[in-house]
Amino acid sequence: MTYWPAWLSGLALALVALTHWLTVRRMLAVSGRFTQLVNRLREGPPAEGDEGAMSEAELLAAVQAMALAEFGEEAIDAATAAEAEAEGGAPDGHTESAAAPFAQVSPQPLWLHAGFLGALFVGGLLSMLVAGGLSLDWSLASAGFTASFGDGAVSYTVLLLGGVLIGWGTRMSGGCTSGHGLCGVSRAQPGSLVATCAFFGTGIVVSLLLEALL
Amino acid sequence: MKQTGMTLLLGVVFGFCLSRIGFTSWDEVHAMFTFGDLRLTIAFGIAVALLSVGWVAVRRLRPNDPAFAPRPIHRGTLVGGALFGAGWALTGACPSIALVQLGEGKLGALVTLVGIFVGNALYAAVHERFFRFSVGSCEG
Repeated sequence: MTYWPAWLSGLALALVALTHWLTVRRMLAVSGRFTQLVNRLREGPPAEGDEGAMSEAELLAAVQAMALAEFGEEAIDAATAAEAEAEGGAPDGHTESAAAPFAQVSPQPLWLHAGFLGALFVGGLLSMLVAGGLSLDWSLASAGFTASFGDGAVSYTVLLLGGVLIGWGTRMSGGCTSGHGLCGVSRAQPGSLVATCAFFGTGIVVSLLLEALL
Repeated sequence: MKQTGMTLLLGVVFGFCLSRIGFTSWDEVHAMFTFGDLRLTIAFGIAVALLSVGWVAVRRLRPNDPAFAPRPIHRGTLVGGALFGAGWALTGACPSIALVQLGEGKLGALVTLVGIFVGNALYAAVHERFFRFSVGSCEG
């Protein structure tokens, strides 16, 4: 398959991310969908937001509880009202927007998170069918990967451990290439800039090491 | 309803594009990371440049859209990002890529996918155990 040139690739990525915001009403952020699925599997029914955001909400709740004990309920009500006014009268209270970045839109049902992941699978399948046919490969159909790790147990161990690093790392940093890399960096968000520099940085280091050692 | 349909449709389109761009190819990603071929790097740069203009346009043209969620730095940002990058370089996959690779018939991506779920769940457990803020409840 001949890959798209850089300009078309960049244009396609930008259009998908923009259309996602305009029609799905949230940022394109794929690792977040993994997190939602994992949360449901771990905890049962109530799916919760990103870990970082949750801690923040808990901290806020604790602060409010302390304020409640100290100053009584009116103080909090007054503060919340003032804050809501300052923010242009957002429909949700401050607590809500702190608890979930996407509080303004209702959360997507769990099946749709799985559905989006399934849709990615279909997209890859379609690409191959359009290109002239699907051929199965037990590895990654990559000369470089096989040259580095072979096609036996070592290669599958690398894939498993690498996968664990991806799952752990994206959850820990709160995003991946789509949420941090594309949508966060283009909005000059500090967390996304740091995360993106970090994952491109280690990506480069590990790849150069592979090149040198294997 | 429209939102649900668009979520699924964009998933397919995104997957198709990632495949055509070559982001699903370990060799292409490796070439990006080792500066052997700057095509993907430039593509990424173009996407970010277009989006940064796009977000400004969205704000101007649709002032009633919900606020963009801020992405502040927190304790996990740097380390988490660094670990993810290592995994990306090894497997040639980021979370969405593993699924697209699987759709392309690269069955090894199934192992990557299992790893992603395991890693995500492991971090969730570790975060809960060690990093979780206490809300001061006595009920534990």
